Amino acid sequence: MKRGCWAVGLGLLIVAGGLALRLPQLDRRPMHGDEAVHAVKFDGLWRTGEYVYDPEEYHGPVLYYATLPIVWLSGARTLAETTEATFRLVPVLFGVGLILLLLLVADGLGRGATLAAGVLTALSPVLVFYSRYYIQEMLLAFFAFAVIGCGWRYAQSRRIMWAVLAGTSIGLMHATKETCIISYGGMLTALALTVAWERRWRSAWKRLRPGAVVWGGAAAVVVSVLVFSSLGQNLRGPWDSLRAYGTYFERAGGAGLHDHAWYYYLQMLAYWRAAPGPWWSEALILVLALGGGMVALRREAKGNTEGGCHGRAPGGGLVRFVALYGAFIVVVYSVIPYKTPWCLIQFFHPLVLLAGVGAAAVPGWMRGSRRRAVVATVLGLAAGQLGWQAWRAAYRFCGDYRNPYVYAHPLSGVVRAADWVERLAQVHADGWDMLVRVVADDSWPLPWYLRRLNRVGFWERPPEEVAAPVVIVTNDLAESLPAAFTGEDTYQVSTYGLRPDVRLLVYVERGLYEEFARREEAATHGP
Amino acid sequence: MLAAGGWARGAVGLMVAAVLAGLAVGNQPGQAEQTREAAKAAAAEQAGLVALELELPKPAFRGTPRHVPPGSVNLEEPRKGPRPPLMVPPGTQNVARDKPVTSSDKEPIIGALKFVTDGQKAAEEGTYVELGPGVQWVQIDLKEAYTLHGVLVWHYHLNARVYHDVLVQVADDADFITNVRTLFNNDHDNSAGLGIGRDKEYWDTYEGKLIDARGEQARYVRLCSNGSTTDDQNHYVEVEVFARPAK
Repeated sequence: MKRGCWAVGLGLLIVAGGLALRLPQLDRRPMHGDEAVHAVKFDGLWRTGEYVYDPEEYHGPVLYYATLPIVWLSGARTLAETTEATFRLVPVLFGVGLILLLLLVADGLGRGATLAAGVLTALSPVLVFYSRYYIQEMLLAFFAFAVIGCGWRYAQSRRIMWAVLAGTSIGLMHATKETCIISYGGMLTALALTVAWERRWRSAWKRLRPGAVVWGGAAAVVVSVLVFSSLGQNLRGPWDSLRAYGTYFERAGGAGLHDHAWYYYLQMLAYWRAAPGPWWSEALILVLALGGGMVALRREAKGNTEGGCHGRAPGGGLVRFVALYGAFIVVVYSVIPYKTPWCLIQFFHPLVLLAGVGAAAVPGWMRGSRRRAVVATVLGLAAGQLGWQAWRAAYRFCGDYRNPYVYAHPLSGVVRAADWVERLAQVHADGWDMLVRVVADDSWPLPWYLRRLNRVGFWERPPEEVAAPVVIVTNDLAESLPAAFTGEDTYQVSTYGLRPDVRLLVYVERGLYEEFARREEAATHGP
Repeated sequence: MLAAGGWARGAVGLMVAAVLAGLAVGNQPGQAEQTREAAKAAAAEQAGLVALELELPKPAFRGTPRHVPPGSVNLEEPRKGPRPPLMVPPGTQNVARDKPVTSSDKEPIIGALKFVTDGQKAAEEGTYVELGPGVQWVQIDLKEAYTLHGVLVWHYHLNARVYHDVLVQVADDADFITNVRTLFNNDHDNSAGLGIGRDKEYWDTYEGKLIDARGEQARYVRLCSNGSTTDDQNHYVEVEVFARPAK
C-alpha cells in the first residue's frame, strides 16, 4: 500500500478516535451556568432571528449562529425540545475540526509531525473535555488554527482564495470571543519574528500580493460586521464589539473572583492533584512541545531532510512561527491575572502542534533503531495514558471538583431538583403551566433545567407575593421567606446541592406533595 | 417479625409509654422528644433490654452548618446533646466487621470496599471508600441470617454534609428480590426509584446515623445514597450492623 494511503487511513482513524472520545453521553455532565446562559441566549436568536451583542457579557454571536444548523437538523421546535447534546454537539464538531485542519499545514509540519499532532489533539484531556462544553473556546481555537492554516496555504500558493479564507477566519475569531486580540497579537509578533529570523523581509514582502491584503482584510471586516450586526439588523453591534474592549481590559486587569497566580495554567497542565483524588498531567505534551521548540530553533529555513507530504520538504518557517506564536500567548495568558481553565485552550493548541513536531523528531535523535523503537513505544504508551485521562475527564470525573478542568461547576442536585419539579407538574392540575418561583442570587443553570415549564419566575430577593405550588430558594435566602414557609403543614421542603456549600431548598405545597407521594407509592406498591 | 415473645411485649410497653409521654409533654418539641426517649429507655429496661454501646470516632469538625433554615425542612436539625440510646437485647453486637462487601460501583474512585467493614471510623484519608456519582449502593453479606437491631452508618464526617436518598434495606438473598424490607428511606421524591421515603435527611457527623432495625431477620444489608450537598460522589467510612444470631 502506498504511504499516502497509509497516512489517509491513519488520519481517518485519528478523527474517529477523536469523535469516539467526544461524542458519547453529551448530557452526562450537568450544564455549567455559562453553558446554560449561552443556550438561553441562543434561544433569543432562534426565536427572533436577531442577536443584540452585549459589550459587557456573553461574548460574540458566532457560537449561537453555529448552533442554528444543528438545532434545525435536530428537529427541535422550541428550547424545551432541545437537549444538552443538541448544544454540545457544536463544540464537538469544532474540536474534531482541529484535527481536520491539520491537512492545511501537513506540508509545513511534516507527515509524521502532522499525524502525531492529530493523535495528541484527539487524546488531549483538556481538548476533549472542552470539546464537550458549550462555550466559545473551541470555536475560537478552531478559527485561530484556520487563520494559520489558510495563511500558510496562501504563503505556499499565493492564491487569493486562501487570503480570503484567512481573513474570514480572522473575522470569525473576532465575532467569537474578545480574547481573539491575544491571538492576533501572537500571530503578528510570531510572523514578524519568523520573517526577521530568516532574514527574508524582501522575499516575504514580495510574496505578499496587495490584492491578498485587500481581499483578506475586507473579508475579515465584512464577516465581523455582518455577524455582530446580526446580518444588518443591529447596526450598533460592530461598534459595541470595539467598545467591549474597555470592559474586558478592565476585567483582565484582575482584582476579581477568577484571579490566579501566573503559573496557574502551567501547573494545571504539568501536574494536578486535588487530594484525595487521582493525578492529572499533560506534561507529555509540554515536554514534546519543548522538543518541537528545539526543532524550530535548529530547523533550516528551507526545510530539513524529513520528507513532507507529497514529497515536499516541510517548512521550517511554519514550525518556527507556531513555536513563537505559542510562546507569546503562553506568556500573555499567564501574565493576565484573570484566569479560567478553558482560556488555556488558546495557547495549548499551538503547543499541541509543536508537540507533534517534537514527537516526530525525538525518536530520530536516538542512535540505533532499537533505541528509536523503544522511544517510539514509550511515546505511544504515554499517548495512550493521555487518552485514558481524557476518558476520565470527560466521563468518570466530568463534574468532579478534582478534575482540574471542572470549574465553578454545579452539582447534579440541580438536575434532580428540576426533574422533581417536572414530575410535580405532571401531578398538578395546571400541568406545565404550574407556577414556580425561584429566589436566588445566582440560580444558573436552573433556568435551563426548568425550560419546559411555562410559568417560572426568578427573583434575587423574595418578592411580596411568594406563595406558589413550588418555591425554590437558595439556603442563604431561606430565612427571609415569610413565616408561612416554616410550618410543616404548609410545605414539604427538601434540599438539593446546587454548588458546593450552596443548597437549593424546594418548597412544595403540602397538598401537592401528598398527591405526588400517593401516586408514587401506588406506582411502587400497587393501589 | 420480632425475635422473642418477651422482647415483643417489651416493645409494646415501650410504644405505650412513648405515646403517654408524648401526650404528657404537649407542644414543646425538644423537651417532648427528650421525655419520650427517657420513657422509652425506662420501658425498654423493664423489658430486659440494654442500651447499645457504640464506639464512636473523634469529631472531625465543630459547630453547626451555616444557613440551616428553621422548622419545616425535610432535614433533621443538628442535635444538641447526646444521642438517645438504642435499646437492644443483651448480647447484641456488630456482626458486620470484616464481612464481605459488594457495590454497584465495581471500581471505587478512592479506597476499597473492604473499608466499609474494617472497623476504621476516623475521618481521614485511607478510611473511606468513594463510589461514583448517581445512585450507588454497598451491600454487606453477613454470611448467615441474623436478628438485626440496629444499623450504624458513617458516610463521611470530615465536614458537614447531607447525603441524599439514603436507604437501608435488608433481604434474604443477594439480589434483593426475596423478602426485601426497608429500614430507613429519606428519598422523599423517589429519585432513586426504590419507593418514596418519609424519613428525614440528616447531617453526617462523627456519631454516624443509627437506624433501628426493628428485629428484622436477614442475611444481606444494602445501603443506598445519591450524592451529597457537597459533591455528587457517595462515600462510606464504616457500616456496623448490630444483631444477634437468628433463632
